[in-house]
Amino acid sequence: MRAYERLLKEITPKLRQIIRRHRQFFTAEEVEDLVQDVLLSLHAVRATFAAGRSFMPWLSTIAHNRLADSARRYYRGKANEVQVDELPVTFAEDPANVEVESYRDPGELANAIRGLPEGQRNAIEMLKLREMSLKEAAIASGTSVGALKVSIHRAVATLRKALIKE
Amino acid sequence: MIAMDTDKLIERLAENADPVRRLAAPWVRTAMWIAISAPYVALVVAMMAPRSDLQEKLSDFRFLLEQVAALSTGIAAATAAFISIVPGYDRRVALLPLAPLCVWLASLAEGCIQALVQGGAGLDLASDFVCIPAIALVGALPALAMALMLRRGAPLRPHISTALGGLAAAGLGNFGLRFCHPQDASVMVLVWQMGTVFLLTMLSAWAGRLILDWRPLLMNVRRNLRPG
Repeated sequence: MRAYERLLKEITPKLRQIIRRHRQFFTAEEVEDLVQDVLLSLHAVRATFAAGRSFMPWLSTIAHNRLADSARRYYRGKANEVQVDELPVTFAEDPANVEVESYRDPGELANAIRGLPEGQRNAIEMLKLREMSLKEAAIASGTSVGALKVSIHRAVATLRKALIKE
Repeated sequence: MIAMDTDKLIERLAENADPVRRLAAPWVRTAMWIAISAPYVALVVAMMAPRSDLQEKLSDFRFLLEQVAALSTGIAAATAAFISIVPGYDRRVALLPLAPLCVWLASLAEGCIQALVQGGAGLDLASDFVCIPAIALVGALPALAMALMLRRGAPLRPHISTALGGLAAAGLGNFGLRFCHPQDASVMVLVWQMGTVFLLTMLSAWAGRLILDWRPLLMNVRRNLRPG
């Protein structure tokens, strides 16, 4: 294992600890998201580390700076959110206001997703369930954006066919 | 939303950790910035024609004190700006240019008080808008060099870093300007020259996030991550 990789792996638990201490209301996923953000940040500015200086103050400054940034993003996002009990209708016509769930049986849909070939299932999970962007999903799965588009198109077609048949 | 597993991200980062040139110490970078800026300031002063009474002014204590204070403010602000983009330093370092700035202001304030004591003749305030473009022109290349040099660091406090950088460039610009602009009444220097320095510092602070931001840095890292 490379020294840099070892260093990043060693500091990751420490970063999780710092983030959990400051963001106790964060879910595990949000903590991990911020840990990755700090890792990317320190990678981006690794040239600013001077060999003779202490490592922990350097790391801690970056971590706290990214924490403060995430708080700013959070409150900015909150300020732009509008809480409504029920979304207003968009058009008066009946077809635009069908008040039924998209899928009447979520269990049936979950089964149909499980039955998909692996590539298509991964595409559905990343792009539809975890709402990742095409670029993020491509990096995570190691495939191209084009291949993902094909997979998701095929997956939706297969699901539609399976659900209508059932 | 998590793009990938953290361990996988670390592996990718390690794969993409090409050697980087370490940032020199802040005071070394200040010296580099002066080495880039000084010839330009000298050239602009020479092109704008030095003031006719320069020889006489060089033996005037107040003029020398104000020039040393302006230059020191510029150098201290540049050092503080370069320190502010290195994680791990004490953030109080941003106060570094305050001491020479206070000397500069005190000297000008004392000049105003003396003019007041002497009957207020030296307190006439005329418009001298030329100070704004002149200081901006003398400080233009130092400001550009400063912005480029700051972008190599961490955007920890963008507005403070660019304000310090702007103060450094404007301080140097004012230092150069006084060699060619025959304006010595303290109140005029205080309002027009010092006013311009503050205006440019405020503008630089406003541009903080345009010059220094994490987002493009992180986007660049993400773009360069080779798929594993």
